[in-house]
Amino acid sequence: MVAYIEAKNVNLIFTPPNRMPVTALKDFNISVGEGEFVSIVGPSGCGKSTFLNVLLGLIPPHSGEMAINGKRVSGPGQDRAMVFQEFGLLPWRTVLNNVELGLELKGVATSERRPVSQKFIEMVGLAGFEGHYPHELSGGMKQRVGLARALATDPDVLLMDEPFAALDAQTRDIMQAELLRIWQEAKKTVLFVTHQIEEAVYLSDRVIVMTKRPGRAKKIIDIPLPRPRDYEMRVTQEFNDLKLQLWNELKDELTVHGNG
Amino acid sequence: MNDTTSTAVSPVPASAAPVRDEGLGEITRRTFWEANERHALGIGFIVFVLLLWEVIPHILTLSRGMDLFFTTPTQVAMTLYNMFASGEIWPAFKFSAVAFSVGLGLSIVAALPLGVIIGRSHTMNAMLDPFITAFNATPRLVFLPIILVWFGIGMWSVVVVVFIGAVFPLLINTYAGVRNADRLLINVVRSFGASEWQINKLVILPNSMPFIIAGLRLAIGRAILGIVVAEFFGGSSEGIGVMMNDAAGKFQVDIVFAGLVIFMALSLVMVGGVKVLEARLSRWRPENVKSF
Amino acid sequence: MNDFVYKWRNPIFGSVSVVLFFLGWEALLTWAIPLNPFIMSKPSLIFEGLWLEMQSGQLWSDLLISGQPFIFGFGAAIVVGIFVGTMMGWRARVGYALDPLLTALYASPLVAIAPLVIIFFGVGVSGKAILIFVLCVFPFVFNTYAGVKSVDRLLVNVVRSLGGNERDIYLKVIVPSVLPFIIAGARYAIGRALVGILVGEFFAATAGIGYRIAWFSDMFELSRMFGYILVMMVVAVLFTEGIRWAERAAFPWRVGM
Repeated sequence: MVAYIEAKNVNLIFTPPNRMPVTALKDFNISVGEGEFVSIVGPSGCGKSTFLNVLLGLIPPHSGEMAINGKRVSGPGQDRAMVFQEFGLLPWRTVLNNVELGLELKGVATSERRPVSQKFIEMVGLAGFEGHYPHELSGGMKQRVGLARALATDPDVLLMDEPFAALDAQTRDIMQAELLRIWQEAKKTVLFVTHQIEEAVYLSDRVIVMTKRPGRAKKIIDIPLPRPRDYEMRVTQEFNDLKLQLWNELKDELTVHGNG
Repeated sequence: MNDTTSTAVSPVPASAAPVRDEGLGEITRRTFWEANERHALGIGFIVFVLLLWEVIPHILTLSRGMDLFFTTPTQVAMTLYNMFASGEIWPAFKFSAVAFSVGLGLSIVAALPLGVIIGRSHTMNAMLDPFITAFNATPRLVFLPIILVWFGIGMWSVVVVVFIGAVFPLLINTYAGVRNADRLLINVVRSFGASEWQINKLVILPNSMPFIIAGLRLAIGRAILGIVVAEFFGGSSEGIGVMMNDAAGKFQVDIVFAGLVIFMALSLVMVGGVKVLEARLSRWRPENVKSF
Repeated sequence: MNDFVYKWRNPIFGSVSVVLFFLGWEALLTWAIPLNPFIMSKPSLIFEGLWLEMQSGQLWSDLLISGQPFIFGFGAAIVVGIFVGTMMGWRARVGYALDPLLTALYASPLVAIAPLVIIFFGVGVSGKAILIFVLCVFPFVFNTYAGVKSVDRLLVNVVRSLGGNERDIYLKVIVPSVLPFIIAGARYAIGRALVGILVGEFFAATAGIGYRIAWFSDMFELSRMFGYILVMMVVAVLFTEGIRWAERAAFPWRVGM
């Protein structure tokens, strides 16, 4: 497998004001192939979300190398886009204007970005809601906007930071299925952070289990389930075996006072 | 730790009337009285007070000396009408209005950039905080004598008093609005490659808007207060405040009240204007936080 | 050591900048610009003047004279304001009737009636106290009103369902809900009370902080005038920050009201 996303020995130390420095990531390594769907699971506070922010280019690491398609990562770039857990929609912008944010910052003219944003609004199933403000949308719809916004800039890599954690259980199931459909349609490489084992198994080609802080990649588990995957697959023996395997890897990392 | 944030009036001040639960009206049908009781009582009480005030001289015999201080709403209204009809009010009105506009305008121009700077820089914030806290807590009236020494009697003294009254609420609220900006939203636009300037334009400024407008409402009140006190205490030789002060000295109580009505109307109109501006700018906010 | 600097960063920066401000002011008027005592003063002269005023006892007697109407006016505003606000929140119709009138009065610059009040009630304690009362009563009315209206029905029901009587409801739900609003109102009111003192004493008085500031200015005793201004600022900061501190200590569950 040719590594499309490659991170080698990434180290990150936080120095929060008024506190002791904290090692968030220690010799973190990861390698993801093109078009692959890879999840990262780990205990809360293990640095999995932090790693996404590092890869996104928002936080510079203290040492280590990261590259996407052979190009070194050194700051935010158009080849990556993030879907945030708390949606991160600008509340004063309509759905349409939120989806267009990335294109606007790229300097694309209004007339050119309109058809693009329209296409992705339709892809995520929000046609007819273009003029709505975020506060008028449900959580699931907000995250659809977040997804459309990330896809609109046509990134090669989609980073997803616990995107469905703020949604209720049914909405989450629907959004997972939608994500798989859109992933197949848009053909992106996805790096997906979650703390939910079932979600990771259902969505991914491979799952990376992280240790508790300072976070490293502990084990990589292949998910050889056939695609396209449907909801019924979740009740098969195979699926549950994979869940159990993942759980066994993870449980050692969960401390009693597991708020890390 | 002295954090100026807590000095700021949030867009939803505690003292504001909470959202009124009138939503039921669309479901349950109410009688005309039930639907209008609130306004009927409110307006009715104002009318009642005015009427009572009007008839007092007819039912009570005012002691000598006391009647010197007494006026009635109709007298005040007549005086007000005559002032505008004869045009004698206009020079004073113009003077006060110009001082008000210039002072308030200058305070906006000064407060917004400074508020953004101290909102985004921890060092500037820590260094300026004691001064802002001290000047905001102190009634600016205390500086009137020295302002008169520095700027002399005339328009500029009044402008300066208005300015120092209005600038702090604006500054503190702009600062609080900038501080309040969601880290997540800043990260979102940064992740799309936004520059510092674009972050200000796309996130910081729209986010601060409700705070700035709340600050503007306070600033208007302070600015009008500034006009009144500056003109009362010899900041100028013209203006509505001067007119009222002279009238009080001559026991022309109706003119004093006429001046008060003008200032009252001015502040109600300005605050109403701010509310319209606010409604226009806050279409994106959920209803329950919008109305304050 | 490093930890110490981190923790106290803001107070350290703040004090340093205040000290630098006074040093810079002093230095500027000592070496750079010749001091014209008719338009400016400098810290060394201000503190010297203030020291003399303290030693002669003048400052204390002025504080006492200004404090008297403040206590009467502010005290009356607390009592009347809380009573009216409670009535407005307790009986909806009273609220409906009074709200528009009082809102209009609150929004208008009531300082404008100061000349009338002073002429009517005289330059003594009563005139100033009434002025302070008129300025201060509204924050208490409106904050109490908002506080009473904001009492959570659910909490009342919770206490009742747990077997609480009327007294429990008052002491455990209503008072703790309303008190923070009233204290926040007091913070607004303090500023207005200080305005009231100054207005009253600028107009006509023979003693008091405000009178002294105006008088020193007329006499071109700018050092002493600045000294008194400084005292006024210290008093104002002590009051507002004191209330803020008390709010945080007494109602830690209310953040930044």
